[in-house]
Amino acid sequence: MHDGSGLIAVQNLTKQFGPVTAVHNLSFTVSPGSVTGFLGPNGAGKTTTLRMLLGLVKPTSGTATINGRPFQQLGQPGRVVGAVLEAQGFHPARSARNHLRVYAAAVGVPDAQADQVLGLVGLGSAADRKVGGFSLGMKQRLALATALLGDPQVLVLDEPANGLDPEGIAWLRTFLQSYARMGRTVLISSHLLAEVEQTVDQVVIISRGQTMFYGPLDQLRQSQQKRVLVQPSDINALATALRAEGVQAIEQLPDGRLAVSGVDSRHVADTALKAGVSIYGIQEEQVDLERLFFQLTSGQYAGYAPAPYQQQQQGGWA
Amino acid sequence: MGNLVQAELRKTTTTGLWWGLLIPTAVLALGWGLATGLLGQFFVDFASSNDVDEVSDFLGVSPDQWKVSLFGMARAINISTIFPMIFGALAISGEINRRTITTTFLTAPSRMQSMLAKMLVYVMWGAIYGLAIMLFLGIGVVITSEPGQLPDAGGWMMLTLVCVLSSILMTMFGVGVGALIPNVAGTIVLLLLYFLVIENVLHLVLAYLEVPSVIGFLPNGSINGLTGSVSVDLFLSTAGVVPKEIEDVLRAIAGAGGALDWWWSGLVFLAWSGIVFAGGWASTQSKDIT
Repeated sequence: MHDGSGLIAVQNLTKQFGPVTAVHNLSFTVSPGSVTGFLGPNGAGKTTTLRMLLGLVKPTSGTATINGRPFQQLGQPGRVVGAVLEAQGFHPARSARNHLRVYAAAVGVPDAQADQVLGLVGLGSAADRKVGGFSLGMKQRLALATALLGDPQVLVLDEPANGLDPEGIAWLRTFLQSYARMGRTVLISSHLLAEVEQTVDQVVIISRGQTMFYGPLDQLRQSQQKRVLVQPSDINALATALRAEGVQAIEQLPDGRLAVSGVDSRHVADTALKAGVSIYGIQEEQVDLERLFFQLTSGQYAGYAPAPYQQQQQGGWA
Repeated sequence: MGNLVQAELRKTTTTGLWWGLLIPTAVLALGWGLATGLLGQFFVDFASSNDVDEVSDFLGVSPDQWKVSLFGMARAINISTIFPMIFGALAISGEINRRTITTTFLTAPSRMQSMLAKMLVYVMWGAIYGLAIMLFLGIGVVITSEPGQLPDAGGWMMLTLVCVLSSILMTMFGVGVGALIPNVAGTIVLLLLYFLVIENVLHLVLAYLEVPSVIGFLPNGSINGLTGSVSVDLFLSTAGVVPKEIEDVLRAIAGAGGALDWWWSGLVFLAWSGIVFAGGWASTQSKDIT
C-alpha cells in the first residue's frame, strides 16, 4: 500500500506518441503543505505528465508516483488523489447530484458526501439541474467537487481556472491555499504564470517536455537580476565612470536610457555625482515574472508576426 | 468490487437510455408476436387444406395442433435482442465518447475491475431486456394465435430461458465490441451491418457451398441456433423419428439453418462474446486516455 506521505515524485519521465516526444526526461517532486504550480506553454507536455501521474497514460520510460506508489497500486485511488483534468467528463443528461452519486459509490463514500462537496464548491442550488446546461465555470466547479468526493490527500488540477470568472478564480485561490495548509498536496497546472502567481508557493516550469525551472517562486524572482534604468545628461561619461568601478553590465536602451545590472540605484546616482553627470530620471526595474517565464519557455510553436498589411494596387478607375 | 457495481448500476439508471431502447424493443417484440400468430394461422389453414398426411403422421397430431408459433417466436427473439446488444455496445464506447471514462478510471482500483463491474451490470440489464422481450412477444402471440399453436407450459419456460440467455449473451457481445471499437457510431453501424446483412449473406454463401454446418459456429448463426433449435425441439416434441432433412428445413424456417443444438449454440456464442470482450479488455487496458 501507499505510504501516506502525500509526496508526488516524477522521475525521468518520458512519453513518446509516435514520432512526437511529448515529455522528455522530466523530474520533479511535489511536497505536501504547499501549492505547486506546474507551468508551461500550450503543448509543453503538462497534461500528458499529469495523465501519466494519474495512470491514464502509460509512460514510455521513467516513473511517476503518488505516496511512493504508481497510481495503479494505490488501492482505492479516489481516497488518495483527486483530479480535475478537464471540464468535459460529464454525461449531459445526468444531474450534478446524480453525477456525484455515481462516483461516490465508486469511491466508496456515503451519498451524503455528494451534497457536501456540491455545497463546498457553491453548486448546492444547481444540484438537480442537468450538467448539459452548465456553463464552463460551473462544470469546472463540478469537476472539482468530483475530485473532492473521497476527501483526498493529494489534489491534481489541470488548468482549473479555465472558464472561471474573476470571482471564481479568487475563490479557487483561497480554497487551494487552505487545502494545502491542512498539510495536503496541491499540484495545479497553468499556461499563465500570472494566473497562478498569487496562488502557488513552488513552481515547476517546463517547455518542450523538459524541466526549465523547479523550486520556490521566490527563488525564481531572485534569479532575475534587477536593473537600474537611468537617464543621464551624458551617457558616455556615466558609462565610462561605471566601467571604471567594475560595473560591466551596461546596456543602452532604444529610448536613450542606460540599463545597469548588478548594482542598486544609489550606487549609480553616487557614481554619476562623482563623474559630474546630471541625472534626469532613475528607477529600479520591477521583477517581471511573466517576462522571465517567456524567456524560459520561449520558442516552442512561436508564430511569426503578421506581415504588414499592404494595400493592393488597384486599377486606375478608382 | 461491490462499490464499482453500484456505481455502474447508477450510471445506467440516471440516464434515459435504458428505457429509450426498451420501448422500441417491446414494440418490436409485440409486433413480431402479433404477426407470428397471424402467419401461423394462415399457414395452418393452408396446411389443413392440403395433403400433409406425411408430416401429420410423424408429428402425431393434425395440422391445427402444430405449434407453428414457435418459429415466429424464435425469429422474434433473434431480431429483438439487437436492442440489448446496442445497449451493451454503448457501455464503454459511450463513456469514451463522452470522456467520462477518465473519471471512471480515476475512481476505480483498476481498469479490469471497472470493466468487470460494467459487465456484471450489463448482464443484469440483458436479463431485464430478455424478460421484457418474452413478455411482449408472449402477449402478441397469445392475442393472435389459436390455443393449439401455442407451446405448453414447459415450452414457455424453455423459450423464456433461452430468450433471457440470448439477450444476456447479445448484451455481453455488445459490451465487448464497444470496448474493442471505442467509437459509438462505428460500433453501432458495424454491429447492425454484421447481424442484419453481412452474416446473412455469409449464410447464403455457405449454404450454396454446401457447408451449412459452418453457420452454426458464426456469431449470428450460433445465437440464432440458441433460440431456433429450442423451437424446433419443442415443435417436434410430439414426434417420433424425424427425417434429418425435415429437421433441417424446420431449423431454416426458425431462422437457424445449420445450427447446432441449443446448448451448443449458446456455448459457441458465449465463446464469441468472450473473445470480443477479451479483445476489448486488452485494448482498454493498455489504452492511453488522453
